[in-house]
Amino acid sequence: MSQIAYFDLPDVGEGLTEAEIVTWKVKVGDTVSVNQIIVEIETAKSLVELPCPFAGVVTQLLANEGDTVNVGSPIIGVTVSQATAAVAAGHAPTSMHSAVAQNAVSTEAIETVSEVASTSSEEKPQPNLVGYGVSAAAPSRRRRGAAPVIATATSIANATAPGTDLIAIVPSADVVIAKPPIRKLAKDMNVDIAKVKATGVSGEVTREDVLAAAQVASVFKNQTTPEPKTEREERIPVKGVRKAIATAMVQSAFTAPHVSIFVDVDATRTMEYVKRLKASADFAGVKVTPLLIMAKAMIWAARRNPTVNSTWTDTEIIVHNYVNFGVAAATPRGLIVPNVKDADKLSMLELAMALEKLAATAREGKTTPADMQNGTITVTNIGVFGVDTGTPILNPGEVGIVALGSIRPKPWVVDNEILIRQVTTIGATFDHRVVDGDVASRFVQDVASVIEEPALLLD
Amino acid sequence: MVQLLTVDGDFVEPKEYAVYGDLVRQLREADFLKFYRDMARIRRFDEEATALQRQGQMGLWVSAIGQEGAQIGSGYGVGPNDHIFPSYREHGVAITHGVDLMSIIKMFRGVNHGGWNPKENRFHLYAIVLGTQALHATGYAMGINFEGLVGTGDPEKDLAVITYFGDGATAEGDVSESFLFAATNNTPQVFFCQNNQWAISSPVGTQTKVPLYQRGEGFGVPGIRVDGNDVLACYAVTKKHMDDARSGKGPSLIEALTYRIGAHTTSDDPSKYRDPAEVAEWAAKDPLIRFERFLRKQGIGQDFFDEVKTAGDELATELREKTFAMTEPPLELMFDHVYSEPHPLIEEQRAWLQGYEESLGGHSSNVEGDDTPTYGGTH
Amino acid sequence: MSNFVELSIAKAINAGIRKSMQENSKVLVFGQDIAQLGGVFRVTEGLVGEFGAKRVFNSPIAESGIVGTAIGLAMRGFRPVAEIQFDGFVYPAFNQITSQLAKLTNRSEGFFEMPVVVRVPYGGGIGAVEHHSESPEAYFAHTAGLRVVSPSNANDAYWMIQQAIESRDPVMFFEPKRRYWQKGQVNLDQAALPLHAANTVRQGSDVTIATYGPMVVTALQAAENAAAEGINIEVVDIRSMSPIDFGHIVESVKRTGRLIVTHEAGTFVSISSEIAAKIAELCFYHLEAPVLRVGGFDVPYPAAKLEELYLPDADRLMEAVDRVLAY
Repeated sequence: MSQIAYFDLPDVGEGLTEAEIVTWKVKVGDTVSVNQIIVEIETAKSLVELPCPFAGVVTQLLANEGDTVNVGSPIIGVTVSQATAAVAAGHAPTSMHSAVAQNAVSTEAIETVSEVASTSSEEKPQPNLVGYGVSAAAPSRRRRGAAPVIATATSIANATAPGTDLIAIVPSADVVIAKPPIRKLAKDMNVDIAKVKATGVSGEVTREDVLAAAQVASVFKNQTTPEPKTEREERIPVKGVRKAIATAMVQSAFTAPHVSIFVDVDATRTMEYVKRLKASADFAGVKVTPLLIMAKAMIWAARRNPTVNSTWTDTEIIVHNYVNFGVAAATPRGLIVPNVKDADKLSMLELAMALEKLAATAREGKTTPADMQNGTITVTNIGVFGVDTGTPILNPGEVGIVALGSIRPKPWVVDNEILIRQVTTIGATFDHRVVDGDVASRFVQDVASVIEEPALLLD
Repeated sequence: MVQLLTVDGDFVEPKEYAVYGDLVRQLREADFLKFYRDMARIRRFDEEATALQRQGQMGLWVSAIGQEGAQIGSGYGVGPNDHIFPSYREHGVAITHGVDLMSIIKMFRGVNHGGWNPKENRFHLYAIVLGTQALHATGYAMGINFEGLVGTGDPEKDLAVITYFGDGATAEGDVSESFLFAATNNTPQVFFCQNNQWAISSPVGTQTKVPLYQRGEGFGVPGIRVDGNDVLACYAVTKKHMDDARSGKGPSLIEALTYRIGAHTTSDDPSKYRDPAEVAEWAAKDPLIRFERFLRKQGIGQDFFDEVKTAGDELATELREKTFAMTEPPLELMFDHVYSEPHPLIEEQRAWLQGYEESLGGHSSNVEGDDTPTYGGTH
Repeated sequence: MSNFVELSIAKAINAGIRKSMQENSKVLVFGQDIAQLGGVFRVTEGLVGEFGAKRVFNSPIAESGIVGTAIGLAMRGFRPVAEIQFDGFVYPAFNQITSQLAKLTNRSEGFFEMPVVVRVPYGGGIGAVEHHSESPEAYFAHTAGLRVVSPSNANDAYWMIQQAIESRDPVMFFEPKRRYWQKGQVNLDQAALPLHAANTVRQGSDVTIATYGPMVVTALQAAENAAAEGINIEVVDIRSMSPIDFGHIVESVKRTGRLIVTHEAGTFVSISSEIAAKIAELCFYHLEAPVLRVGGFDVPYPAAKLEELYLPDADRLMEAVDRVLAY
């Protein structure tokens, strides 16, 4: 049985991508033998005769005289015997790159091929003295998304001569690993990068780590131990914000009977939830912290235990059916408690944004008196100071306040096994004139339940 | 110019070349037939390789057509233990020393840079940078000197070196420096210049003002010119000079005057710079035709020539089949042998490329049963 | 107990070559004026007397020929140690070194080994005329197939020349000519390090200076000056420019966080460029400052009267130390 074998226009070594068929030396029906010249082609103004690769009968001429054909396109079909077909179906050389630079062979300038005429649309490639010439671009095989490989190198002496007497080099234990921009950030924010807790994948200090440390460090952390003072005492006049805080604290502490209760809770699920929110596209660019979840928990718990969200006057207890959610904020001038109005009406995203704005405004010292009035319940985040829990003082006009402490990995019993979980203590203080122990406990339990299982918020 | 065979194939020996005639007279008929067979074989090989290149099987082919007399003759004039440093067109010399012709195809196909074992047949690798091989040959010959393997009289011990280059290469500084080192060290060495009269498009007058066989005199390397299309003269002159070198008479230069019938390479177009009349004139002096005439006058019959033609066709078919069966080189070839001893950068990069290729589905080396058709294949 | 002797670098190389020649009869030494004269720097003094004219011989003034014939000799089974008289004269041999010597093992797929050493006195600081003060090592380090090394002291000179001669690969052996007369203790019994290993010559904690050849002494000087200012500099002698012992440099930079690389050659497209790029990749998280490079300027090596301005000295190194610490 016979088959048709096709001869594709080859690159005859001049960096061709195409050639013109000048003269056919055979026609359909002719018998051809191996290496018989079948066609004359023009390449960059010189004529090249092509010998036929196989013997057989010409079946098709696939291009006309005068046609420009691309290298790789079939130009002739020849009916060949089975054996020839088998041989013809062997390997083709893949397009190869230009092998040798032109000056390798001769110091002569190439005068053999005349100027390549180029038009704007059809540039003929430069003739090449040696090799396959310029190859057509290979199809791209690019795969995206390779994980960055952390490069390493072994020192030659260690690799080849373990027994040699080298100067002992002791690697330093407290080496900071951080990208240059993060180092700069730390410097700009006055953070000692060596003291920042690193949470990066390779053990490096991340941008978030520096920012977190900066938050705490800028106002609260003792950075340096000052020199011992020479004067025996320093007198600070009581006025302004300090006087106002003092007045409020006294009024609150010595008017309302304060009771504090505490619950330890497994906050792992809250931490996971926070992580997922952080990663979600909706929350991109918005700060998400456990405080956000705590806020939502308190709002939910307040709906279930309304009396904790109220105000005592000597004649009435005013239960608020809205939550103006206060956050105790430390500023350079002192403690203030701005609140997010109608926080119960806000979605998770809106609340996150509102809390972020509240904190930024406070840091900038731009909180207005209106922001600080009419709060109905407050949270104080002492966890950022590294403190586990505490007995907060009520914000005047409110009957409940929750302290969000640090969230730390601790051993915890889960399904009868001891596991390491993220654990926190929720501390809360109440005005016992309004809130009795049972209400207080239920409220705190509700908050704790959400912290333990944020999915309860779906209620 | 030493010539023993006229263009008509008559053995005519001028008195001053009796020493060469003597060497020819020591040959038997079997030797003559061997010369012709190899000349025909290498010509057929060359023609087939040219066709294969035109069919996309090689990036380049360097044709030696027209130079068979010089190459086969000189190749057989080299001693059984001597070393040969070619340039890149000496396919005829290669077959006199048993080099597998497919190795040459592989090199021009781009599978490797010349993959034969230079120590196996004492035929060293092709040198692409012109003239560099002349210095290597000279250094090699200096080594033979140091080992005392020259002029002992023991044919098993004594060695000589022959290096080939063309007229173009004689302009390279390395060739001049080789003459210098050879002469001052009295190396057992023959410099064989195939003056095929064209270096790409530059005629030999661009490379030299004096006849090339006189080139070495200034350095102390005596020279002689031989008719490069006369296989018997080339044989005799080469044999004499190699024997002299081996016996300690120092280096010499042979200029074989011949003609490059074909193009410089398959990318060259000689019609742009050569007079077809000149080509025709030299075609008439073709070494195969001349030697055939000589053989027929010696009584060799048509049967022999038919047998040679058949053998040539068989060679061509074999060449074709083997070329199609060639596989791609493995990527390891790029990294193996860059150094003889382990090198960290090479290992690093090899490992990287292997990993990279694997991640993209593997490098197609040694692809068996790949359906890519050779010419378009069977549809 | 090891046998120690004080030798200048020139004498140490001489002793190393001598030892190699005693141990291997295939070792040949040649170049211009290296026989009776013993070389213009006397590095090959006495060798022709001990080993004879078949192993130690003068070459004509033909650098390409010197390297080309060395290749032929290596093919024949010898171990040539060829000398190029001065750095500025290596260029005529550039073709044979880069297109042949570097590639023959690869071209022959391992059938030929090229155990050739090309010795090149290099560097400036000797008030010389043009072309006698070059630092061309980068051209050769860039060429695959070559190994490139440079000893900075007598002990390394003694051992590295022997290791280079023993190597089965071509080695460009750059000898810091302005340090030829610098003396040092040579351990005659045991080589401290493999040929291509880097060596920490001064331990420190604040900044690493990596360098080779003639600049090692300058770096140590700068480190002394810095110590007086309370800055503790670690100096690494990389010893080999191809391959470069990155692992060793990385260990150092991971501790100090700051790297300066220095050499006499101009910094543009130089050995220090390679080290800076590679260390930026390998030590990205550990760098407190960018890698700084201190070299000669990117001009042809100047006339002797301007040489002092050109060559990086301890002060220029300190200027870089200040800059790198400011980050």
